[in-house]
Amino acid sequence: MRLARQILLRLLYGAVSLVFICFVTFAAQSLASGDAATALAGEKATPEQVVALRHQMGLDRPFPIQFASFMAGAVRGDLGKSYFGQQRPVGDIMRDNLPTTATVAFCAMILAAGIGILLGTLAAIYQNRFADRVVLTVGTLGVTVPNFVLAPILVYIFALKLDQLPQTWEDPLRDAAWKYLLLPVVILAARPTALLTRLTRASMIETLSQEFIRTAVAKGVPPLRLYFKHALRNAILPVITAIGTSFGFLLTGSFVVERFFRLPGVGARTIEAIQRRDTPVIQGGILITGALFILVNLAVDILLPILDPRIREAQV
Amino acid sequence: MRKNPLLLVGIAFLVFLALFAIFGPSAGGGITETKWGAFEFPSSRHLLGTDQLGRDVLARVAYGARVSLAVGITVQLLALVVGVIFGTIGAFGPKWLSVTVMRFTDGMFAFPDILLAILIIGLFSNSSHGGGALGGFIISGFLPVVVALSITAWPSFARLTNTTAASLKDREFVVAAKALGAPSAYVIVRHVLPQMWGILLAVSMVELAGTILAEATLSFLGIGILPPYPSWGSMINLARDDMVSHPLWLLWPCLILSLTIFALNFVGDGLRAILDPRRK
Repeated sequence: MRLARQILLRLLYGAVSLVFICFVTFAAQSLASGDAATALAGEKATPEQVVALRHQMGLDRPFPIQFASFMAGAVRGDLGKSYFGQQRPVGDIMRDNLPTTATVAFCAMILAAGIGILLGTLAAIYQNRFADRVVLTVGTLGVTVPNFVLAPILVYIFALKLDQLPQTWEDPLRDAAWKYLLLPVVILAARPTALLTRLTRASMIETLSQEFIRTAVAKGVPPLRLYFKHALRNAILPVITAIGTSFGFLLTGSFVVERFFRLPGVGARTIEAIQRRDTPVIQGGILITGALFILVNLAVDILLPILDPRIREAQV
Repeated sequence: MRKNPLLLVGIAFLVFLALFAIFGPSAGGGITETKWGAFEFPSSRHLLGTDQLGRDVLARVAYGARVSLAVGITVQLLALVVGVIFGTIGAFGPKWLSVTVMRFTDGMFAFPDILLAILIIGLFSNSSHGGGALGGFIISGFLPVVVALSITAWPSFARLTNTTAASLKDREFVVAAKALGAPSAYVIVRHVLPQMWGILLAVSMVELAGTILAEATLSFLGIGILPPYPSWGSMINLARDDMVSHPLWLLWPCLILSLTIFALNFVGDGLRAILDPRRK
């Protein structure tokens, strides 16, 4: 019962965060200079035409009502239309671009979590020995070297010198899709991998110093079982929370990576929209990215009490 | 301080960077002079050669340092002021106000870092702005970047101030000052805040690295500092088109950016070890 109540509460938090992110995107747009009517009417429109269009689009209504209708539209997937080109609905543009962004981001997340937890555990087991120092140094590099510095280095090595992987996305693809996505995923994963490695190491070292581990050693639990079942199961909980927060780094990194590799993703589309001042597409892009971030963190929040009986039993 | 060579190396690099940012941009004919050939190799006139338009690379890298430091320091000062005010209200204000302020801070903190900056720049920057040389630079690139990054940077200072101030709130010297009849504002300014400058300085060094990185990211994406003014981010973006034939031109901005980030992290960590009251 408690578990159900906690999950319900977290779903509620998630919903509130989604409304908050909608509100921020909407409020920012209504504070910006020049509204949708001015942009859509074009440069030749008379002031009367702009006023008429504004009334037609409902932009002269009070702020709360406009926000309510924006939310109602957003729930149905209606995010307005692009100002430019064929004036495609923003929902359709996002539907076309979200799969690439989501694929790259989730692959990078899984890669980062897998390698980070493994390396962090190994570093903790070999604490202060050679392997640990190597992992720590690489980890520090991974946190400090920006992804747009890492990207040209890896492209130079793997695409230009070794000629194994394509340099940027092509349309149509001339090779298997995973080859185009491999470098973006690896580059995107670098920073979260480093963060998760350091966190796993710290958490694991703390766990290994606790009494139940000494008891387990004393009663002769085999080392592998000790490290991966007894210790890691306890040490991994803060790491799982960090997976949620580092997904934020990953999403902002995807703006850089998508632009660098010319991938057809939400980030690349949003930057294009900013340069053309295409407000509805900017809003849509930020909203989708923010929603993705909130959903991943919601998943983490729900997973935690399932994994950890102590959180499950705690009073809410 | 002697026990931490990385701290000294970091400080030395930052001093060099500041001098470079002040005197470097006029080297080799300045940042926009194009009368030389494109992609000239390093020579006595152009120590790092020239770029694809024949501009001096050393001058442009130095101007990038000026941009990074100007954006970074302005943003950190603004974020520090706002963060300290909000954090102090959160620790000492009446309950209803402090809860509201800290909830708002949490909400802003939860927003993925550069996403909010991208939104703000996307909706507020005005790329078609004219104005004079310096005016154009400030309005079309510098100002939107500073505003956007300040708005994303203050919550971490607010949180730090809040937790530190809350831990100082019940210490003897604060209680004593209050018992002697000192008004809250006086206690905060004379007794609480002076305890925190050290840790705030240390953290702002690490945060400065984050801000410089964020500015470079925005400029790399083409929505930060706009041409013709150089920034390390936009230089990396430009140089990647010619990375096959001229990898060196990509190297310089990448190298100095990475070194700056390293140096700031060394200095921040070193200062924190010395100045954090909780670690003593």
